[in-house]
Amino acid sequence: MFDRFVGIAPKTDLLLLQMLAARFHKRSFLHINSTRSGGGVAEILQRMIPILQELGINARWEVIEGDPVFFDITKKIHNSLQGNPEKFTEKMWQHHYEINRKNAEKLTLDADAVIIHDPQPAPLIHFKKTGLWIWRCHIDLSNPQIHVWDYLSRYIEKYDATIFSVAKFAREIPIHKFVITPSIDPLSEKNRDLREEEINETLSKFQIPVDRPIILQVSRFDRFKDPVGVIKAFRIAKKYNDCILILAGSPATDDPEGEVVLSEVREYAADDPDIYILLLPPFSDKDINALQRSATIILQKSVKEGFGLTVSESMWKGKPVIGGAVGGIPLQIIHGVTGFLVNSVEGAAFRVRQLLNNPEIAAKMGETAREHVRTNFLLTRQIRDYLSVWYFAEHKGKTVVEI
Amino acid sequence: MAEIIEPFEFKQCISILKSTGKKAKDLRELKNVIAGISDECIFHHTYQYFLKGHILEYTSDFAHWAGESLEERALSEHLSNIDPYDFKSIHDLRNKLLEVIDNYLENYPEPREAMPGDEFYFNETVTLIFPVGIRAKNLAEFLTAIKYIDSGSIYYHFYEARIRLGSGIDDFSRWIEDALGKKELAERIRAIDPFMHTIEKIRVLIVEAVEDEVKRDMEVIDRCLTGL
Repeated sequence: MFDRFVGIAPKTDLLLLQMLAARFHKRSFLHINSTRSGGGVAEILQRMIPILQELGINARWEVIEGDPVFFDITKKIHNSLQGNPEKFTEKMWQHHYEINRKNAEKLTLDADAVIIHDPQPAPLIHFKKTGLWIWRCHIDLSNPQIHVWDYLSRYIEKYDATIFSVAKFAREIPIHKFVITPSIDPLSEKNRDLREEEINETLSKFQIPVDRPIILQVSRFDRFKDPVGVIKAFRIAKKYNDCILILAGSPATDDPEGEVVLSEVREYAADDPDIYILLLPPFSDKDINALQRSATIILQKSVKEGFGLTVSESMWKGKPVIGGAVGGIPLQIIHGVTGFLVNSVEGAAFRVRQLLNNPEIAAKMGETAREHVRTNFLLTRQIRDYLSVWYFAEHKGKTVVEI
Repeated sequence: MAEIIEPFEFKQCISILKSTGKKAKDLRELKNVIAGISDECIFHHTYQYFLKGHILEYTSDFAHWAGESLEERALSEHLSNIDPYDFKSIHDLRNKLLEVIDNYLENYPEPREAMPGDEFYFNETVTLIFPVGIRAKNLAEFLTAIKYIDSGSIYYHFYEARIRLGSGIDDFSRWIEDALGKKELAERIRAIDPFMHTIEKIRVLIVEAVEDEVKRDMEVIDRCLTGL
């Protein structure tokens, strides 16, 4: 598995990864999150754990279990940390804690290094016995509902360190605040090269015509991803250039709002024969890959975003991406070089028209985008960074360490 | 017997970003935070600017922010004119930054605030140094290696070395002069202005200089043969 990255990932990333893994040989490294599938966190863990194991690290991945009330609460926490007003009661926080307490009884939490992903399992810190504990935050905390953050930070401040995806997501808390961007796996089913017939198979399965340019957005049906805004932008662009729109997304088990947003989108699309709304089951990775590869332009018109990994996935396929200038998207899209950043429906529509009318610009942009992802957003770089943080934690107080 | 030459060991560094949690939305806040923030933070936003794929208009994150986010062109020019390698300590560099900002605030209209989300975020880094497993024993090997290594290795030896060794000299020219005794080539590499090029352009300029030297060395042999 690891050898398959040779010739794809930057060679020194692979070298440093091996050096660090040798230092953590047989040491235990535990990751905990709240869903086995759906969303960027689960996808990265699915790919990262086997590589860590192959490198000789005793890596484990555990998922906390909860009832629908728990996931409703954690969705509200998630939304309010991204700025949405939500009402919270002491009883809700107690339920959040109680579910974590029950999980702590079932899980083996002993490890040399533990990474807890996002707010759902954050209270597990109360049950820490040994090791280095890091809270990995994948969401944008730059403008949270402050009462929610204040409550949650009671847990976070007990960790040894935090990791944020983007510097501006970090809060001022008195522990180490590392910044590590997430990544994609170029070898996964979602990102590997596909044969022509594999792409065609997906297109015919969903009855997608190939006679016109395809505009695509792949994301959960979530208001922060602005699927209705994508339809509006498409309708503006379509007045000038004939094209079709595909909105494709998987439901996530920790997202009870998905169904509601999906109905809103269906209603807004109003049986337009050129809009394809695809609700993909979990593990539809090959289909997503094929859709991205057959698209002419890919949108990620988020109005709030954690990091927005679908941007890197699309860029890796050499596609020009138009993304909302929020969250981690500006780190991936260098405006005018590796894609376009937009701030409105009108902006998105304009860039769609520009790219449809200038295929040579679109091709050059896609090529630059792929190289930008290769050097900055592949899985090997992220694993390298996690191990580096662990290595620094074992050299307390030093800001420069030589291997 | 041939003289034993100390080989050049290529190393590289990676830096992991750390947030200080502090940010500034306008120039006065920027000044106040610069006055009190850690040395590591000032180091990151000035010396380590070159580690990123930088825009050649600026020489530090402060100048970059002044130009791109505050859109204060003159201020960004003043800040870009600060050469971090001119200062013996971060303390002196910090004072220079504060002096330039103070002068600007005295002589120009008050700059506007940055747009929300576009504030200046104060960061620092931790740095991990590691050997990349490549050694050059002579100039020809060095030439092959310099074409092959990652840009992070060029950053480490060409930029970071100036601070690490405290002499303002890069590792490449130091080895070429000390181990190979090629003073002229060393000076040609030292003459490359680190501010005016991207890391990839620095690689091209070093390759050109070394290639010329290797060719000249070969031509000496040719001349000897012709002399016979």
